[in-house]
Amino acid sequence: MSDISGTGNAANEADEGRLDPREAARLLAQTRWRAQRGLDFRSPWLSLLAAAAMLVGFGAIWLSVRGQHPYEGPTPVGLVGLYAAVLVRIASVIYAHRRATEGVTGRSVQRRQAEGAALAVALIVVYVVMAALAHAGASDGVVYGVYVSSATLIVLGTFGAARAAAREDWPSLGLSTAVMLVASGSAFAGPRGVWLSDGVGLCVVLLGYGTLQAWRRHASGSDA
Amino acid sequence: MSAAGIDPVIHVPARLQIVATLAALPEGDALSFTRLQNMIGLTPGNLITHLRKLEDVDYVTIEKTGSGPASRTAVALTHRGHAALDLYTETLRGLLNGL
Repeated sequence: MSDISGTGNAANEADEGRLDPREAARLLAQTRWRAQRGLDFRSPWLSLLAAAAMLVGFGAIWLSVRGQHPYEGPTPVGLVGLYAAVLVRIASVIYAHRRATEGVTGRSVQRRQAEGAALAVALIVVYVVMAALAHAGASDGVVYGVYVSSATLIVLGTFGAARAAAREDWPSLGLSTAVMLVASGSAFAGPRGVWLSDGVGLCVVLLGYGTLQAWRRHASGSDA
Repeated sequence: MSAAGIDPVIHVPARLQIVATLAALPEGDALSFTRLQNMIGLTPGNLITHLRKLEDVDYVTIEKTGSGPASRTAVALTHRGHAALDLYTETLRGLLNGL
């Protein structure tokens, strides 16, 4: 599709009209707010969906392991629940991201691709170490319970915190730090309890983050 | 109220919207002409005319790639454009504080 072919030079004379400074300040604030909102894929609704997905996903695993004595690890049914919830989360983020960044090109696109590749490697490393722990004779409770849930979330939290700090995005830094704290604290709940603790903890953290996003949007919208 | 000292290139509703929208992009990024048009709500003719005025003073770059129906036009704010918007914002703030 041609972007600007055949547009001519038909500038509306009314658009050349100068502004009163007060009106200009209002238009500037309003335009900035709209642009930032339009270009940012994050939203309170996305956080709410993530909170529900984490509660359902980790809850499904917890339901599948809570009656196991001795602990054997998540059942196929539990894993299907977790993977379905994770897929919903990933699909919703991809949809929102594509919508927000439509028409955007440049360095940030390449930076995001590099960050995605680094995160994928880090997550693969978590599962390689999990295999090494199983090979070394670690118990199922450690390998398929405490380690896999905590290590995955700590990697995601560390990645998010580093990314947020580099962008001076303090609410996201708070979210990522909270994810790491939930993951490390939940590790003390044991191989069965870790799943429930992670699910509830992440749900609360994401709901708090979503509420903060909604409040900030409302506040900046009122200012604009 | 006097608007003396305000950059006359930016101090026009359409151009102020263009510059403020492009300033919301991360450093080094560009926005397609179509997306910019959708975000601001100008007609293509209006938008290209205002963009050319901003390009004349080196506030934006307009880069066209491809040809025919597959062509794409990307618009980005230059360092000079960023600096001009910062100065414009400061000048406006000064004027409003003086009221």
